[in-house]
Amino acid sequence: MRNAAPLLAVHDLHVDFDTPAGPVAAVSGVSFEIEPNETVALVGESGSGKSVTALAMMRLLGRGATLRGQITCDGRDITGLTEKQMRSVRGRAMTMIFQDPMSSLDPLYSVGNQLVETVRLHNRMSRARAVERATELLDQVGIADPRGRLRAYPHQLSGGQRQRVMIALALACSPRLLIADEPTTALDVTIEAQILELIRGLQREYRMSLLLVTHDMAVVAEMADRVVVMYAGQVVESGAAEQILRQPQHPYTTALFQCIPTPVTDRSAALTAIPGAVPSPHELPPGCRFHPRCAVAFDRCVTGQVPLFPLDGGARHSRCWLSGDAASGRADRTVVTSASVPGPARRRR
Amino acid sequence: MNTPATTTQPRVPVPGGREPLLAVTDLVKHYPITKGLLRRTVASVRAVDGVSFTVGRGETVGLVGESGCGKSTVAKMVTRLVQPTSGSVRFAGTELTGLRARELREFRRRFHIVFQDPYSSLDPRLRIVESVGEPLVAHRIATGAAKRRRVCELMELVGLSPAHIDRYPHQFSGGQAQRIGIARALATGPDLVVCDEAVSSLDVSIQAQVLNLLKKLQRELGLSYLFIAHDLNVVRYLSDRVFVMYLGRIVEVGPAAGIMQRPAHPYTDALIGSVATPTSSGGFRRSRVVARGEVPSPSRPPPGCRFHPRCPEAFDLCRVQQPPAYRLTGDRLSACHLRAGEAEGVRDG
Amino acid sequence: MVEYALRRALYGVLVIFMVTVFVFLALRAVPGDAVRIQLADAPGVTEEQIAERTAALGLDQPVLTQLFHFLGGAITGDFGASFSDGSSVGGLIADRLPVTGQLGLMALAIGVVLGVVIGMASAVRPNGLLDQSLRLVSVSGLSVPSFWLGLLLVTYLAVYAGWSPPLIYQGPAENLGGNLAQMTLPALALGAAAMASIARMLRSSLLEVLQSDHLRTVRARGAGRGTTLFKHATRNSLLPVFTVLGLQAGGILGGTVILESIFGIPGMGSLTFEAVQMRDYPVVLGCVIVYGAVFVVVNIVVDLMYGVIDPRVRYR
Repeated sequence: MRNAAPLLAVHDLHVDFDTPAGPVAAVSGVSFEIEPNETVALVGESGSGKSVTALAMMRLLGRGATLRGQITCDGRDITGLTEKQMRSVRGRAMTMIFQDPMSSLDPLYSVGNQLVETVRLHNRMSRARAVERATELLDQVGIADPRGRLRAYPHQLSGGQRQRVMIALALACSPRLLIADEPTTALDVTIEAQILELIRGLQREYRMSLLLVTHDMAVVAEMADRVVVMYAGQVVESGAAEQILRQPQHPYTTALFQCIPTPVTDRSAALTAIPGAVPSPHELPPGCRFHPRCAVAFDRCVTGQVPLFPLDGGARHSRCWLSGDAASGRADRTVVTSASVPGPARRRR
Repeated sequence: MNTPATTTQPRVPVPGGREPLLAVTDLVKHYPITKGLLRRTVASVRAVDGVSFTVGRGETVGLVGESGCGKSTVAKMVTRLVQPTSGSVRFAGTELTGLRARELREFRRRFHIVFQDPYSSLDPRLRIVESVGEPLVAHRIATGAAKRRRVCELMELVGLSPAHIDRYPHQFSGGQAQRIGIARALATGPDLVVCDEAVSSLDVSIQAQVLNLLKKLQRELGLSYLFIAHDLNVVRYLSDRVFVMYLGRIVEVGPAAGIMQRPAHPYTDALIGSVATPTSSGGFRRSRVVARGEVPSPSRPPPGCRFHPRCPEAFDLCRVQQPPAYRLTGDRLSACHLRAGEAEGVRDG
Repeated sequence: MVEYALRRALYGVLVIFMVTVFVFLALRAVPGDAVRIQLADAPGVTEEQIAERTAALGLDQPVLTQLFHFLGGAITGDFGASFSDGSSVGGLIADRLPVTGQLGLMALAIGVVLGVVIGMASAVRPNGLLDQSLRLVSVSGLSVPSFWLGLLLVTYLAVYAGWSPPLIYQGPAENLGGNLAQMTLPALALGAAAMASIARMLRSSLLEVLQSDHLRTVRARGAGRGTTLFKHATRNSLLPVFTVLGLQAGGILGGTVILESIFGIPGMGSLTFEAVQMRDYPVVLGCVIVYGAVFVVVNIVVDLMYGVIDPRVRYR
């Protein structure tokens, strides 16, 4: 799979937003690829820039956003396309579903109306044939009585059904990449499991790639082939999901996993928390952006930018001086030992 | 119309035999559905339908369930923000349901509630000293300089800088704002704090901080918590005992330690299947027990066991007879005909 | 929905009843006597004649008796007779209502069409040059009272174009050109405020909708500008516009009283204006009830329109 040409490649993506206090960088130099049929999880907390990255790929950032870098879809850079040209990319090449299915559906039109509109947008077909196709799609996403439900309005559906309709609308475009931004966060946990199973089944059937934007490690574990972890607008770690979940390399990823209470967490002990908060894009720290919260930061982390080190022969990457190959393979590794190095970095161990 | 809940809902013995801080018995909240020119009541939404539990002094009781199960309505009835339709709420030995507003006032300083969204529960135009100090003024505990002093103490207690008491809510991050919400809840020195999804909208790294803070405060101040959330892992971590709610009723009760290892209700299984679980090789998996269908409307709850239409193990009895609270070994109760039989539990009247 | 409309109509009747009682009592409280004002110019009027006239009009009765007498008639559709010439109030209103109806509808049409065009044009490029200049137009429309705008328009046209509208009313059936020549200016003056508030409301609500999740989702599926702007965005931004419309209808109705007098249009407005001056109580009351009824009906229609536009609106 890794040998196939990527369906989509993001290279050195930067997104700046105009604010009254001057431009701020929401995304700084993000790169990753998505292969055909692959599921990539873009993981991070709020403020990591994961949703902005996804919206940038769709060129759906609002006014006041400046985009730099390349987004290559089928070998074509789409960053320079006009709004009119983008219409042929959106929908067919890739489409996107969002967290809140209620606000993502137009409340004033019936499910059938919105489905038929989308079906006919991408296929020249008669109205009657489009209604047939809409019924098929509702059936495929597991909505009972699909023909009757065509007449339903979004507010008459439950949260889970609305997200199913959103998925049907996405399928109506037959995209090759589906970007799902927190698709189950607004749903109840038992419904979440159903929706994830549905997405996975349809992904296989429609031969879609999936970019899953999420903060939920359980969702990542269930769905992802590869994981890209973001922090404060940068990629801090990426690699195969199994490896990252088993053995995270970046201190942020490690700490993030330890924060999550599990069924076996010791109830009498304090949870491992990451001190402080995600930095505001107005006041990004110098050096490694995670260093003020990092338990193992040392003086080098405070000054220079940290590159994304390739590990395991390029299968994984980590933006940390301390990570595996990066540390062992470098001449200056002596600096890396902790206790001997006094410095401005905070220690919390 | 419905069978009296008294005979069917778990009654929990008070640990140690002392009068518990909070004892809720057969709590019911029905919201009428009106119709017609004269607005006759034609049906009711049974938000809470006979719920009983106790919270001991210094104890944390977790209430877990999905949206619409009635857990937030319970929180509002316990804190008397909503008037129960029927049932009893005893706080420190006094029945609260019949009290007039003036009599209730004395008790209002002894329990407080923390909501999910920290920003919407703080007035954006009030400085923190005013928001946090507001209960002090309302209960004529402190004003002026004494109030400032007390607010500074509270800020330190929740891990914030007392220097920031003259700031406005928007100048704080989500985690900090939730700490402020907790500080305000603690202002009058309450015995019971009700946390209604208090950590649900926080990022996991911040969520861990706030959970640790809640544990620390309980240790230092001897607080009791009624901790309401939809994330079973979080509830298990913080609580001593866990009550699982489904569609207005409690379906399972047990000590936090055992409930995730040996769930005694199929609905608890479904909840557990949806949360992050670490695997033996590291990383996370979910066991993916997918409950069928969706939660029915609380205005038309199914007959028999309310979970039976979604239950993979339902049999004939479940469709007709509402399961009583079967007493299992230990302190556990389960409203499931099947599991109780398997566990050879004795039936609790 | 029928049930809802009925309930609203019931409330409406109650409102009109209360307005009637209030206006009835308020008129009696206003200084000035209907009979004396009517007979003031006639030479040699004696006190007996005044008393006789007063008794004939029923004004010697206690106020409450007069009120009940009036209400009793009003329920059967009889609003009494004009004090000045004895003609039936119902007949007077029936003559005048169509004229005001035409003026009001023209004003509303001007307000809606211009308001929607300006609102949409402003929202497409917010804070652009067009938006800025259109905002100036809207703000002026809101700040200038309609009667003053009317006078301004007449004066400007008279001075710089040497044209003034005809002052003798002609029905649209007898002379459409003349009719429109007379009606257009007051309609423009009346509609300006509606135009301005519709434009501003539509602009802000469109801008909000254009930023909404569901519009972004529509674009994510590759829909073109036409579908996004005209099918999804416009309909979603119409609700607040309808609310404004209901309120502005009241402003237009109120504005007719003075503008009809200025432009010599024989409608409800000038009828009311003259009746108030003459203390012609039955006519004033009849007019107020009709104005009230029109306003109530307009607002019921607006509320029902919510349901037509938005399926989420349930009438309970």
